[in-house]
Amino acid sequence: MVAIDPALLTNILLIGLSGTLICLAVHFIPVGGAPAAMAQATGIGTGTVELAAGSGLVGLITASYMYAYEPLADIPLVMAAGAMGSMVMLASTMFAGSLIYAYGVAVPFASAQVKKDPITGDRQDTYISKGTQGQGLPTICYVSGVVGAALGGAGGGLIYFVLMDLYKPYLALTSAFAVAGVFTMGVMYVNSVIPSYGVGGTIEGIHDPKFRRVVGKDVITSFFVSILCGLLAVLIAGGMSV
Amino acid sequence: MSDIKERSPNQLMLFGIIGGLLGIYLTYLLPLAGEITGGKIEEVLNTIAPVAGALGAICAVMWGADAVRRVAKYGLGTGVPSIGQIAMGMGIIAAMFGLAIVQTNILAGPIVALVTASIIGFIIGWFAQNVIKMKIPVMIRCMTEIAASGTLIIIGFSAAVAGNFEFANIVELVFDNGVMLAVFWVGAVAMLHPFNACLGPDEKQKRLLYLAGSTGAITMAVIGIAAIMTLGASGVLTLVLGIVLWVIFYKKFWDEVYNDASCVVGTGLIPKMEA
Repeated sequence: MVAIDPALLTNILLIGLSGTLICLAVHFIPVGGAPAAMAQATGIGTGTVELAAGSGLVGLITASYMYAYEPLADIPLVMAAGAMGSMVMLASTMFAGSLIYAYGVAVPFASAQVKKDPITGDRQDTYISKGTQGQGLPTICYVSGVVGAALGGAGGGLIYFVLMDLYKPYLALTSAFAVAGVFTMGVMYVNSVIPSYGVGGTIEGIHDPKFRRVVGKDVITSFFVSILCGLLAVLIAGGMSV
Repeated sequence: MSDIKERSPNQLMLFGIIGGLLGIYLTYLLPLAGEITGGKIEEVLNTIAPVAGALGAICAVMWGADAVRRVAKYGLGTGVPSIGQIAMGMGIIAAMFGLAIVQTNILAGPIVALVTASIIGFIIGWFAQNVIKMKIPVMIRCMTEIAASGTLIIIGFSAAVAGNFEFANIVELVFDNGVMLAVFWVGAVAMLHPFNACLGPDEKQKRLLYLAGSTGAITMAVIGIAAIMTLGASGVLTLVLGIVLWVIFYKKFWDEVYNDASCVVGTGLIPKMEA
């Protein structure tokens, strides 16, 4: 077993924090679900988990690339690499989606949750088709999504960095990469599903009134669950040290 | 719909836990028995031992699919796949913890993983019910079951690829070469697909369980391909048995679909021109 010392407690706390970051990130991403896929709601036309996983896993790849090929990489650098990968992935997803909404489905981008786009100030309500919750990805959704992806990628990078430091002493380097990566993936999935239950499947981004309503309880849940995951991660390292 | 006889949750839970653990432990006990008898039998037992892990995992898939059915019936708002993914997320954390923490007491590993998964599942279920307020009465129980079956699926299929469930061995043969990702994803789909495909007003447990068996078996076949890479002959056996089981279960599912349908007609091709 592992003796309790401040460094381990810090690690547990950091894993808890990164899980919370991933959970927070999901709230920023404009997830439209099935209605958005039919251009009847604002957002990207797929589920929370798929988006969080898609952008989060790309973030994980870029973070691990930074960790493996830059010997001086410390926490901020790995987190930044993760954030960058996620942002690129989600931005290109939203861009491709926007092309289809604009030129394939032919809908004007509008949000039903706000009267004016907080960034551009453009009026929204006159452009919404009757009987829908808005369509496409207005500027605020796009920006909110990129911010969310940055948070998620940074969270994934952070947990990966902490786990690598934990497992490197006990495993061969390639095994440590694999074990840390898979564990990160597990934590990422748990923390992207919890907020998706909180928001009930769809959210438009930071300007959505739902954001303020649910973000608190989701973050609390995620924090406790991630702390538990962090505890298990530290104990796994203890189990390897035979 | 009370006239349709259903397997009770407890029955399926026992089936999943006992079947799953039995399969997983056989991967360890069969070679041990072989060592005692020696000779030709030892060779045979060593070859068939990893297959038992995959069979155990199929039991866990059927249990998990039923638990998904019970909770997803209430409408999660996020689609059924999300619950399969959280199950595997919890399952993989618990499986790694359980197998690693026991150090040299290898035999305790799967049980510790099962208990850990149940605890994680219970905590997430409790938070979902009382903090996020999802208002699904079976949430806590089902989350616990889903996490536990997820961990059995992961350990079972990993054992089928690695030969046993010793952590160092699994790290070398399942994690290092990335087979773990296949176990994770294909396992998740095996668990979530049955209800995702069957849901609707006329959904029946029997049909779903047969479909769960078939998704579990096709996962076993995929795992068999991976096991050919790591174990050779055992992998071939896993692959062939997986395909055979898939055909059997899929045929049963097919029959159930025909049974439940009011009639099955061929519509022909869509006419090219408007009449």
